[in-house]
Amino acid sequence: MSAYLISMATYVGFFMILAIALNLQWGMTGMVNFGIAGFYALGAYSSGLLTVKAGWPVGFAMPAAAVVGIAAGALVALLSIRLREDFLAIVTLGFGELIRLIALNEDEITEGPRGLKIDARPFADMFDRTTYPIVYLAMVLAVVALAFFIAERIRRSPMGRSLRAIREDDVVAEVLGKNVLRHRVQVFAIGAGFMGAAGALYAHYVQNISPEVFMPMVAIFIWMSVIVGGAGNNWGLLLGAGIVMAILEGSRFMGDFIDFLDAEKLSAIRVILIGVLLIIILRVRPRGLMPEPRFRYGRSPGGGSSTADAQS
Amino acid sequence: MNMQLFVNGIVNAALIAPPAIAFSLLFGVMRFPNFAIGGYITAGAFAAYAFNVQLGLPLLASAVAAMALTGFIVWLSDIIVFKPMRGHGPVTLLVVSIALTLILEHIIRIIYSAEVRGFDIPLQRPVKFAGIRITYEQMDIIALALAVAVATHLLLRFTNIGKAMRATADNPVLAEVRGINTGLVIGFTWLFCGALFGLTGVLAGLDLVIEPLLGWNLTIPIFAAAILGGIGSPYGAMLGAVMVGMAEELTVLVLPSSYKVGVGFMIIAVLLLARPHGLLGQPEIRK
Repeated sequence: MSAYLISMATYVGFFMILAIALNLQWGMTGMVNFGIAGFYALGAYSSGLLTVKAGWPVGFAMPAAAVVGIAAGALVALLSIRLREDFLAIVTLGFGELIRLIALNEDEITEGPRGLKIDARPFADMFDRTTYPIVYLAMVLAVVALAFFIAERIRRSPMGRSLRAIREDDVVAEVLGKNVLRHRVQVFAIGAGFMGAAGALYAHYVQNISPEVFMPMVAIFIWMSVIVGGAGNNWGLLLGAGIVMAILEGSRFMGDFIDFLDAEKLSAIRVILIGVLLIIILRVRPRGLMPEPRFRYGRSPGGGSSTADAQS
Repeated sequence: MNMQLFVNGIVNAALIAPPAIAFSLLFGVMRFPNFAIGGYITAGAFAAYAFNVQLGLPLLASAVAAMALTGFIVWLSDIIVFKPMRGHGPVTLLVVSIALTLILEHIIRIIYSAEVRGFDIPLQRPVKFAGIRITYEQMDIIALALAVAVATHLLLRFTNIGKAMRATADNPVLAEVRGINTGLVIGFTWLFCGALFGLTGVLAGLDLVIEPLLGWNLTIPIFAAAILGGIGSPYGAMLGAVMVGMAEELTVLVLPSSYKVGVGFMIIAVLLLARPHGLLGQPEIRK
């Protein structure tokens, strides 16, 4: 049972990294990304292929996955920077599907639907089999903490204020002399880098990745995490990711009580439940359970330790 | 061989055109891209399957019944889900519509499981002439797509409700001020577009197979067609459907056919880069 809890916590960690990344892109800057699964897959396959096919050590392959994510994010952002936010949704969704198609069809490289087996695990020889899952969880949580720290630093910095300005009205931000293009590309790339890192962590954790994991559905779970928590608030999404995982995993046990549901129906019910909850939350609490604090104006510049700042 | 690809492209275009028109009309009036179209189309295919195979109705009657039922489901989805959220931003509505498409797809999964199905129709030998193969179903698809295009044109051009739809899409406040019952127009638009999505489900079920992912697999080409033509412009959507449909088939010459969905995405990406408002769309004036 404790092994189960540790594995669940690890998965919540992956969700949290993805949610932090989406919050940077959408919650803070207003850039819609429905291709989360694509960046996640890109990171997973980059790290996996670099270790399996190119023989890189894990310690280099995993950071390389983040770099691949950053590069892909910058590319997608540059490509679609002139788009309205709802068109960006379509382009990112298409990007995610394209990555999945490549993973599925280029099976000489990616092993396609058979799945890519990855033996390499970081620090695997330093710990025995029973303690290793805890070590891996600690590693995932360290990356969560790092991503959270970076996201919070960005949010509190002058750049964070520019990002919120872009989110609220990019024309006004541009008129005020902010470099909207540069900020958008930077933030999208950083977020995509986090997603790539999450993918690498996932790949070396499960040790067998196949394209069907990276369905567009992943994006909905992460959107749900950010929306439930409250877009723009990094603390909220940690709560949101936990809630989403609790629903996904908790409904697994429904099968024990309702015996006419087989595994297939149960997983369908799980998705319906997530969908219905998402709609209800958007209707009744559009700003989430932990709404982003209203930004206060007229504070003296440099008063960094005021109470408003500590909360925001 | 290349003529065969050309014919396949036409069939493909005919399959994409009606939903692209409906998607575009819906966007024009509602102002957000409705990702639930995948769920609507799948619902249409399974509704027709229920009438045709489970109740034993002839295919034509099943198709009409499925269009009516899908129209009703789509209208109902507005009443239950979207209507209470008018005034929310396009991104919120977009997330809601994705949630809705997942809900619809998985309700169908619960009822019918992921099994692949087909309509109860006699197998007919495809027609061959000059080395080109085309099935009777494919000819029906082309004929119906043309009929939909003409009917939409007549509706928008010559009927009061069609003119009201165009007025509401153009400027809802002005339309309201001029005495147009925009609530009625919106309701009719959902119903009409829903019937087209239902028809698409039937046609896609004829040409491909009926399965829960049927609509989702068509979603990106439909978006591509609607955006290519200029979103909100139904005539553009027809043109876009022809171009996307042909492009998807003709790229088989250079790319493996498994990348068809990717072609739609590449078209969107390249086109939006060059002309963000599409081929026939008007550039949007901001503020």
